[in-house]
Amino acid sequence: MQLAYLDAASGSMIVQAIVAGVAGVAVFAKLFWRRLTSPFRRKTATEAQATAHEPLGAKGDKR
Amino acid sequence: MGPSTSGVGTEPASFRDPASTVFYLDGHVLRGLSKQGAADYEALTATRFFPQAVQAGQIVGTRTVPEEELPAADGDSSWAMVLEHDRIPVVSYPYEWTFSMLKAAALLHLDLLQQGLAEGQTMKDGYAYNLQFVGARPVFIDVGSFEQARPGEPWAGYRQFCQTFLYPLLLTAYKGVRFQPWLRGAVQGIAPGDIRPLFTGFDVFKRGVLKHVVLHQAMDARFSKARASDTRRELQRAGFSTELQAATVKAIRKLVAGLRWKAGESAWSDYQRTSTYTDAEKERKQAFVRRSVAAAPAPLCYDLGANDGTYSRVAAEHAGYVVAADSDDLTVDLLFQALSKEGERRILPITLDLCDPSPGLGWRGRERSAFFDRDRPDVVLALALIHHLAITGNVPLAELVDWWHGLGARLVVEFVDPEDPMADRLLANKPAGMHGDYRRAVFERLLEERFQVLEREELPSGTRVLYHAAPKPSRA
Repeated sequence: MQLAYLDAASGSMIVQAIVAGVAGVAVFAKLFWRRLTSPFRRKTATEAQATAHEPLGAKGDKR
Repeated sequence: MGPSTSGVGTEPASFRDPASTVFYLDGHVLRGLSKQGAADYEALTATRFFPQAVQAGQIVGTRTVPEEELPAADGDSSWAMVLEHDRIPVVSYPYEWTFSMLKAAALLHLDLLQQGLAEGQTMKDGYAYNLQFVGARPVFIDVGSFEQARPGEPWAGYRQFCQTFLYPLLLTAYKGVRFQPWLRGAVQGIAPGDIRPLFTGFDVFKRGVLKHVVLHQAMDARFSKARASDTRRELQRAGFSTELQAATVKAIRKLVAGLRWKAGESAWSDYQRTSTYTDAEKERKQAFVRRSVAAAPAPLCYDLGANDGTYSRVAAEHAGYVVAADSDDLTVDLLFQALSKEGERRILPITLDLCDPSPGLGWRGRERSAFFDRDRPDVVLALALIHHLAITGNVPLAELVDWWHGLGARLVVEFVDPEDPMADRLLANKPAGMHGDYRRAVFERLLEERFQVLEREELPSGTRVLYHAAPKPSRA
């Protein structure tokens, strides 16, 4: 993934979904729903591999 | 623009984006592009909106420089492409703009982004410093900002846009607080966490506050440790699209377009009535200014204490470009609105406190240059100004004359006698005798030490004298 030269803050990216209106709010809700449910979803080996990055908002070095 | 007009010099504010760097060569403004930057530029020139915006003067005039025209002295062969930009006559910064100017710049920025998004282009940033004014017209100068939009990504410049455009505008529109000291206080603008505590109670129901301030700050605090690349990926998966980015920008544009500075509207009528001149006196003064400016070539004129811009307009008849500076935001804002309606391109209104002019700011104090280091004027107008600086500002007359001499320009100055009603009013605020040397004879002696007086004229009131003077060579 290509990164911008500006250090885009996650909060500033997420809030844009809300600003975008109804369709954006759906994205926003989905984002949080996925986050809420992710610890309970059973993962296949490949899914676990693909989501090996820190979940959104994870604190510190807890991995 | 910039400190260097001969030889090669890099723009001290152009180092953050490695894909695009501005430098100066013999007075030309050039931009070196990396391989990626060059690819972005080529995609940009293939759009419909870009050439139209350049043609309309909304984006700075830009052309590619053939490699053989670049002197070897430039040395840096790492650029994949070099562009040349039209020069901005006099650079100004957002903390020198008024509410209407910042708003006009914000709207142009959003318009260009909207047009870009319609053709698959986005902007890497949302920085107020990427706009300049040519006269009263905003111009977008950072051609390197454009890049091809990547599907599923939000606008990378949104936060910067909030910090340097939206929050300053909200601060003035909703709280009646001048934004200029805040922008001057930090070149990166006002952070979400810094603006949030200012909006209390019913403020949160004002348009835009809940989303752009309250929620933005909350999300910012909540996700401060999240990695941007993860967030991008998750947003993409949740269905964020370029259409949503366009919807975001459209919503911000609507919000900005509706913002008003209340003081700027109510004071309009009061303002037009306050004038202490008779028509005859005004005509004599205008004729003097006209004669003085026309007496020698004047590519650049500073009108210091420009007020409603009457004399800036007179100066513009013979000067190439005029900077109309005044410390009263409201007056400057009204002047901007008037000039803007006329499509004026040779008079730049700015708000500047002459007792506290813009210093050098940003990285090494050089990223944004101090106002009086920026350019060399050819003629300086200081009309109905001296009593404000000498009496209210307590600046000694000798210091004032020395300052004007240091500008190295011809000077058109008005001395306002202590007996003049305006000066008398200011003196009444000071202890008796404090400004005992504020007298015409003292001023003339000081002026003649450093300047050659070319013409002087006493106005009919008998309490005001105009001088046109040329600086004598500096003493060894």
